[in-house]
Amino acid sequence: MQQWPSYPKAIGFCIVLRLLLALSLDLYLSPPSLDAYSSHNGDKVVQFINDGPGLLSASSPLTLYANLKESLWLYHHGIDPYGSGIGQSPLYLALSFFPSIVDHTPINSQILSKAFEYLLWTIPDAFSAWFLVKIWTARAPSSFKSSSSIAFLLPTIYLLSPYGILPFLARSTGVWENAVLLGAIAWACDHAPNFKSKSLLLLALRTHLSLDAFILLPPLILLLLGSPESMLAEPRPFALRAQFTVFRAAGSLVLEFMAYWSALTLISTLIVGHWRWMSATWGASLSLPSMTPNPGLWWYFFTEMFDHFRPFFLVVFNIHLLMYVAPICIKFQHDPLYALFILLGILATFKSYPTLSDHGLFIAFWAIFPEVYPYLRHPFPTFLVLLHSALLQPLFAHLWLSHGTGNANFYYASTLVGACAGGMAVVDAVWAGLRIAIEKAGKDVKEVVEGEEMVVVTQQ
Amino acid sequence: MLRTNLFLILLFLSSVICLNNTNEEFEENLTIKSLRDGRVTSSFSFKTLFRDAVPRDPRTLAFDDDESQHYTLFPLSLGQILRQYAITELHLTLNAGKWDYDAWGYPEESDVGVGAELRAWIAGNSTISIDERWEGVRNALAGLFCASLGSLDEQRTTSPHRSFPPEGGLPDWDLPHELRHASHASEHVCTENLTPFLKLLPCKSLSGLAMLLNPHRIFDADWHGIGLHVLWRPEGVEVRLNVQLVSDPLRISAQGKQDWSFHSLFDRKVERACSVAKSSRVCVELPSSGVYRVFPEPQEIRGRNAFYDLKDGSEAWDIGTMWPTDFEYPLSQPNPPLVPFSVRRNLLGATQDRGQLSIVVTNNQQDTLQLLYLETMPWIVQLYLHTIRVHSDDVPRGDLISNISYVLPVPHARPSTFECVLTLPPRSTLTVSMDVAKAFLRYTEHPPDAQRGWDLPPAIFTPLLPSSNGSTAVGSRVYTPSLLVDLATPDFSMPYNVIIFTCSVVAFIFGSVFNVLTRKFVIVRLNSPQNQPKDSREEPVDSKKSTS
Repeated sequence: MQQWPSYPKAIGFCIVLRLLLALSLDLYLSPPSLDAYSSHNGDKVVQFINDGPGLLSASSPLTLYANLKESLWLYHHGIDPYGSGIGQSPLYLALSFFPSIVDHTPINSQILSKAFEYLLWTIPDAFSAWFLVKIWTARAPSSFKSSSSIAFLLPTIYLLSPYGILPFLARSTGVWENAVLLGAIAWACDHAPNFKSKSLLLLALRTHLSLDAFILLPPLILLLLGSPESMLAEPRPFALRAQFTVFRAAGSLVLEFMAYWSALTLISTLIVGHWRWMSATWGASLSLPSMTPNPGLWWYFFTEMFDHFRPFFLVVFNIHLLMYVAPICIKFQHDPLYALFILLGILATFKSYPTLSDHGLFIAFWAIFPEVYPYLRHPFPTFLVLLHSALLQPLFAHLWLSHGTGNANFYYASTLVGACAGGMAVVDAVWAGLRIAIEKAGKDVKEVVEGEEMVVVTQQ
Repeated sequence: MLRTNLFLILLFLSSVICLNNTNEEFEENLTIKSLRDGRVTSSFSFKTLFRDAVPRDPRTLAFDDDESQHYTLFPLSLGQILRQYAITELHLTLNAGKWDYDAWGYPEESDVGVGAELRAWIAGNSTISIDERWEGVRNALAGLFCASLGSLDEQRTTSPHRSFPPEGGLPDWDLPHELRHASHASEHVCTENLTPFLKLLPCKSLSGLAMLLNPHRIFDADWHGIGLHVLWRPEGVEVRLNVQLVSDPLRISAQGKQDWSFHSLFDRKVERACSVAKSSRVCVELPSSGVYRVFPEPQEIRGRNAFYDLKDGSEAWDIGTMWPTDFEYPLSQPNPPLVPFSVRRNLLGATQDRGQLSIVVTNNQQDTLQLLYLETMPWIVQLYLHTIRVHSDDVPRGDLISNISYVLPVPHARPSTFECVLTLPPRSTLTVSMDVAKAFLRYTEHPPDAQRGWDLPPAIFTPLLPSSNGSTAVGSRVYTPSLLVDLATPDFSMPYNVIIFTCSVVAFIFGSVFNVLTRKFVIVRLNSPQNQPKDSREEPVDSKKSTS
């Protein structure tokens, strides 16, 4: 077997490559000049990404770097940043303790702030890649344990795919959200001391950054009580121990999560000084005050929705997201990590303000489940549909908003195709995750009756 | 006979009472000025003073019965609105065109922002809230003036009290007074607004200066606007109705001369004076140089102004000025701006999602100038204050902007209010720029002509003058022209299609996921019927793999 380099090397290599790319882009877009004030900070790269390849998709209004900086500036100048009814989590306001991110006037602080910015957006990505490898090593079935190729590929896919690079270059806070979520999952798989508390704390934090992570709580709790190891091939009911103990353990975990969540809520409220930030951050992802286009399905639907049906469909779309949680957790109770993976795909496809980071996370997670690959029904069509939508989205967004020759329908069509790709991937993942279970049984039968022809069918 | 005499006596007495009513005074005034570029500004002002009247105390709004309203000269329909909503001070202007401060100087009436602008000082602490009364008064005025003032709703209402201090006094009621201000740049002033306006005058347009208000000529002028101002002074409540226009005699004249007269400007003369007017004066501002003739002979000349009292004399008045030579546009000599500072405002950027707001202010004086800069942006354009960059003569000067106050916009609900103080060094040009994000609107929020874009209200610059007691007083306001912002539009023809497509995709994915989740996987042996499994539900199938 070919020897792959170890994963820390891979992560380091990818990070250096990304930094080189970012720096050369930065130098290309704003050559160093003495007029430091006019060539202000690293926003040129952010603008380039947000106007070019990442137009509309690299960040949503809830993860946009300009909105974060605006909140920090307003907070710094004593103006309530949540007055507009849409904003990012108050926890981000803690960044204003580093005044260099707000104020760029002197030249030396500019260079510092630029370095600081790169650091702020590189470290979470490095951690994300490391967490992914940790999740993989905790899960890897024994047959795959020997191969380190996945441990090498995982960071590469996550860090070097356009889904990872564009949000990083656009300084989307989705990078942070992914890192926190991956941390929560990695610790849930880890079974190190205090892993439950660490994991729940990080999930509570992730819920604060963006509310949609709430639906990941049930599979995460299953994961904390169960094991991350691949059990797809040998499904069995979850209740390993007596029912009562499981319920009590789950209840105490939920309570612990709520405690962290309330503490973070209290901290946020203390930072801002009022409770209205909740409607501006969480409420915004539920009620869609900004119709800014994104790769998701909500924006055009609610742009074109008749006014008197808007509240009804907002409720429908929100409940629709919740409806997947219980069935998927029940069906995949033997492998909660897989349930979590499918819910990540559902989120990336159906949440209100999805960005490339959400898609990137779902795509990177595919590498953790190599055992299901043989049972996928249509991986290649799914990939082609995804590619089609991924290539057309920036093009059509540009034609519509910058060039003025396309209209909204073009971009909408490409996001619709993207949603189809996401849906196909999720459906295929569900199929393969269930189909693999029959294989073991099939093999047993095969051993008994030599040379017999069989098919696997599904029945209602 | 006796009865007839009694009736005549009564009639006489009542007319004496009416004429000698000292409570109400009406004055009319017209100022005409020839401009540097050959145009002529005319500013009509009709002032009615209701002596010893006070605005209604909003605490009395709880009781239905208001004191009876008896007006002789004061417009009743307006008085009723003011009392019903207990408005202390009110300003309404409807203008069209761009006032060129550099070439025309300051206007006689300072509110020259394009479109409709309405602002009111309203006292609080009543059973009916300020916002309810604000809504009521703008709807009532919309009905009174046939203007779309109803669209000055909460999406356009701001409260920039620093830029708009009360012009009159505020009664000492121990109540908080609040300002409500709204402007709508796309509203066009038209004849249908002037007709109800003239009805508010005691002589209508039948006599006095109002005879000159010929709609054909007013709305033909390069710049025209009408205004209504109600304010309270210790001596009483004053209602000032004004009409301002900038006409171009060069355009009308066949010879290219800048001669003007009432007849040439308005196609009318003042046939008779308004009998109830206490004074009816015309002031002609004389040109500073050149040979000209003012006719008829002015009754009084003070400084550079010639005055006429239209109550003297009985013949029709046709005042005017004549020049012996053709007008030559002063191209050769430099044209220094007539105002202490000049402003340019632009919205830059080619894309429909982002842009840059740029303001260039030039200080034309030898002294440092302090300006209060007010921007009332609808929520569709979101300012990014962290990107504010201030340059003075291309040198970055972050210190020249101070006292920033900012009310954030609320999507679909509230505009933003941005106020700051700009300090302009002597003879310098200050550039302020900031990034803006353009919003994406719901399809029902777009106007019918969505591709045309949205008119943004004008920015307002108010010079802050150092006064004796250390504080600063505000000078004459300067309005910038409005801006047009190009917003991304959805496809208006396909709400059904979008709803159907999106719902189909969601339903399809939802259905597929649950289809797979609710299925049971079984093994079927094809070629060994003797080894059939015990499960009776399993049957041999011929197809290779069935998923349905």
